[in-house]
Amino acid sequence: MTTVTIPGEGSVPVLSQPSRQGWWRRFRRRPPAVLGLAGVVIVVAVAVFAPLLAHYSPIVSQFGHVLEGPFSSGHILGTDELGRDELSRLIYGSQATLEVGVLATLLAMAIAIPVGIAAGYYRGAADMVAMRVTDVVLAFPFLLIAVGLAAIFGPSLQNVILALGIAQLPGSVRIARAEAMALREQDFVQAAIVTGAKDRVILFRHLFPNMLSPLMVQASVSIPAAILGSALLSFLGLGVQPPTPSWGNMLASAQTYLYNDPWIAIFPGVAIFLTTLSFNLLGDGLRDLFDPSMR
Amino acid sequence: MRAYLLRRAGISLLTLVIASMVVFLGVRAVPGSPATALTGNTDFSPAALAAINRAYGLDNPLPIQYVDWVGQVVSGHLGSSPVTGMPVTTELGNAFPITFELTVLSMLIALALGIPTGIVAAIRRGRSADYASNGLALFGLSIPSFWFGIMLILLLSVVLRWLPASGFVSFSVSPGANLAHLIMPAFVLGTGVAAVLMRQTRSGMLETLRADYVRTARAKGLSEWSVIGKHALRNSLVTVATVIGLQFGILLSGVAVTEEVFGLPGIGQLTINAVFQRDYPTIEAVALLTAAIVILINLLMDFVYMILSPKVRLAGEPG
Repeated sequence: MTTVTIPGEGSVPVLSQPSRQGWWRRFRRRPPAVLGLAGVVIVVAVAVFAPLLAHYSPIVSQFGHVLEGPFSSGHILGTDELGRDELSRLIYGSQATLEVGVLATLLAMAIAIPVGIAAGYYRGAADMVAMRVTDVVLAFPFLLIAVGLAAIFGPSLQNVILALGIAQLPGSVRIARAEAMALREQDFVQAAIVTGAKDRVILFRHLFPNMLSPLMVQASVSIPAAILGSALLSFLGLGVQPPTPSWGNMLASAQTYLYNDPWIAIFPGVAIFLTTLSFNLLGDGLRDLFDPSMR
Repeated sequence: MRAYLLRRAGISLLTLVIASMVVFLGVRAVPGSPATALTGNTDFSPAALAAINRAYGLDNPLPIQYVDWVGQVVSGHLGSSPVTGMPVTTELGNAFPITFELTVLSMLIALALGIPTGIVAAIRRGRSADYASNGLALFGLSIPSFWFGIMLILLLSVVLRWLPASGFVSFSVSPGANLAHLIMPAFVLGTGVAAVLMRQTRSGMLETLRADYVRTARAKGLSEWSVIGKHALRNSLVTVATVIGLQFGILLSGVAVTEEVFGLPGIGQLTINAVFQRDYPTIEAVALLTAAIVILINLLMDFVYMILSPKVRLAGEPG
């Protein structure tokens, strides 16, 4: 944290945007956050390089090798009920999982940032409409939004992304709005208004860049929430459709074999848990960096 | 204060009206004719289709249909399920008590786990108790509830055989068996909410412990118990009240998947089955009921917020 010396007051801490170098140095001093970042990098790498890492097809069945335990006949994590290699399905399953987490969050941000800024900066009617819309979205649990979209358009990955993106809107809009309202009262924004700067300049040059850190923290919380949400929807059969593997639909089919072959229910859950844990650790680290009062 | 209450209630009512329009239009946006959606049949002669449309009032303009529909809903006529043939109100009546019991039980577990750990973490900030609480909260936030449920079934039902893996026994039949069936799912749901509550309680406590009035209370020589219990906790609970309201909506999604995992015939399982059987009257009723409950709980939490927070009580606006 930087400090400012005020006569008679001594050193006073100031919440400022740290320089990039200082940012990394302070980030590095938090082992949980670094661990989280490492976890995120590993999951992303696994998703990107899936075809190189997986030794078997995630879809083709080998009916001679059904439900073989871990470390059997060349399958490190065993095979599932259709004889498909569990590890290869886990590796490919990371793709759908990350895709939903990241795209749902991007979708929510792309809508929430302009809406939140408009509501917070202009207030009045824009604010009223934005708040009522978010109230209505909040009234429907994301499962119901997904259910509605699945009923209208049929279950698919796109609908899961859309449903989870919509479900994240209220939180993201409220954060963007609160930031815009706070920034609007700041001297540098008031000065820009008084000097007759165009709204476009105020919104994009003054408000938006100063909102990035809280929005980044919100995104780092949203991504794991969307990942858990998409796993839940695939588990219920509303998300990624078999045979395409996702960690959620792998768990759904594993539940039938829980009594005799519990391992196929253990691995996908561990994968989801470690991925969301990594994002949460990273998010906590970022929040501590940008908002020291939460520490 | 009264003006604020009335305004909040008005906004909630407006939200409920808009939500009901979304539900109404959503069911009518389903592919195929609404007649198909409402009766479950697809093969109609043109004459039969016209007769059904007339019977359901589907030949009227949409705004009139909406007003009629609201009238029916208010008088408790939600139609019949085309799948089971039972009135939707009967289905809801059977499923609702199970979901209600599960939700209340898991909220109690969440409060019992989340608030004390949050307080301890704030008081013992930076020490091992704080790290342990934070670690537990991270665990609760990161673990997929349905997988946690499956793992508990594996451990407590399959391996140790302590608790039943699935099914439901009503409280009136056997209170003991009722609790045995609900304790695992309630714990699974409760831990997720407890994690959020713990974090909010901790940060709320940290903020109030720094406030001037807490310093004053300490300076007056009040015991640490009375400083924390009477002064700091009350104000921290203000944020917790809002979080409980927001968590309820999220909890309802978790309820559905938890009921699926533990084979509980509640609202969640009813919804999931309705989706796969294209049972639109049931989906419509569940969506409306859920929205109404979430809106009502958030309104109640606003009132709690106001009672707890002197700032809001005096100014008439949430701070």
